[in-house]
Amino acid sequence: MHNRFLRITARLALALMLTVTLPLQTAQAGMVGTEQLAGRHSADRERVITLLDRADVRAALEARGVDVNEAKQRVEALTDEEVAQLAGKLDDVPAGGDVLGVIVFIFLVLLVTDILGFTKVFPFTRSVR
Amino acid sequence: MRATAGCIARHARLCAGVLLLVGLTGCATPPQLAALRQAPPPLPPRVELVAVPFYPQETHQCGPASLAMALTAAGRPATPDALTPQVYLPERQGSLQVEVMAAARRQGMLAYPLAPSLSDLLAELAAGKPVIVLQNLGLSTLPLWHYAVAVGYDLETETLILRSGLTPRETMSFSTFERTWARGGHWAILVLPPGQLPATAREAVYVQAAVALERAGQAAAAQEAYRAALARWPRNLVAQMGLGNTASTLKQWKEAEAAFRQAAADHPGEWAPLNNLALALAEQKRWKEALAAASRAVTLAAGNPEARKTLEEIRQRMPEKPPRERR
Repeated sequence: MHNRFLRITARLALALMLTVTLPLQTAQAGMVGTEQLAGRHSADRERVITLLDRADVRAALEARGVDVNEAKQRVEALTDEEVAQLAGKLDDVPAGGDVLGVIVFIFLVLLVTDILGFTKVFPFTRSVR
Repeated sequence: MRATAGCIARHARLCAGVLLLVGLTGCATPPQLAALRQAPPPLPPRVELVAVPFYPQETHQCGPASLAMALTAAGRPATPDALTPQVYLPERQGSLQVEVMAAARRQGMLAYPLAPSLSDLLAELAAGKPVIVLQNLGLSTLPLWHYAVAVGYDLETETLILRSGLTPRETMSFSTFERTWARGGHWAILVLPPGQLPATAREAVYVQAAVALERAGQAAAAQEAYRAALARWPRNLVAQMGLGNTASTLKQWKEAEAAFRQAAADHPGEWAPLNNLALALAEQKRWKEALAAASRAVTLAAGNPEARKTLEEIRQRMPEKPPRERR
């Protein structure tokens, strides 16, 4: 909880800094800056990564031998579209359902099948085949 | 990773030796090398980029020296002395990674962070690109940070060739390198002329590197990078918008207009391309078209105040305001 509070504070501070410096970067008054746009699109990424920080998700993944830090690195290496797909799958999780199970399932399937070379969802993985 | 690299060159060899011992007694092959042996990458067996110059570092200044070598190799001659004030932090006796990247951008070059993969590093060398790497030549508990430039490899002898510290051609076994590199967070970057794509380019990473170049105030260089990105990934929204925005910064309104139109066509659900298109049209005094684009942006933006502001602004700037019902 404390950790999350810190993170939110840090993000607020960052947002504030960006707002202050934004006029310098914008191409033209009123235009939506590239960075602004890039930031919006990585909101999905941020969400997936935040999910991996949850204690229950972390514990469940670790119990199955998945290193959370490595999973995060892989999320970082995904393209925007792939992250959006992943985030979309997570959105499909029904409220009140076995959220944890589905999240863990998605990560396991993606990571494991990627490594075995059946899929190539994560550009990061080198398959053993 | 926010470590400063202090690079104590004279101890480097000794430490590498100690490391090797630790490695031998500790475990066998580090993971990436093991994977490399299992599935050898389809690369030439031997590569050495002999044209990369060597600048011996002065005390603790491997950051500026490494960057100068990479910049010069990429066609932007630089000296460690000229770069030192930009990247060297005297009180910490080293350079931060972010500053090394920022300094490259200030020279109008694109700093591309590689994936933490040994085979990617080798692929870049095979493609003729030297790689700046961060190593921890000490132990995790007693770090000895060091920047060097990888300039070649030999798959048969499993060695990497580096310009490092005071040594113009240091050969280091893959296994020692991997361990020291892993302790440096697998940090590796390319310094590229902005029109060039890395051999191992990843869409999001490359586009982000171009955005960083734009943010650094290098509009013309960033524009070249966005063009290169779009040649490979034609529908990337951020690159399309970046192309339009850098063109706007450079007051190339025709180009800006074309880029925003393309973005709007490829991403019909997005309001930002239409918003920016409206402003690019207004700059060309094509008021009717500008008004139409801004109105569509407002519809798509679903109450976003920015789009509304653009529409208002265009209405205000128009020399003659059309009656509302003709909209």
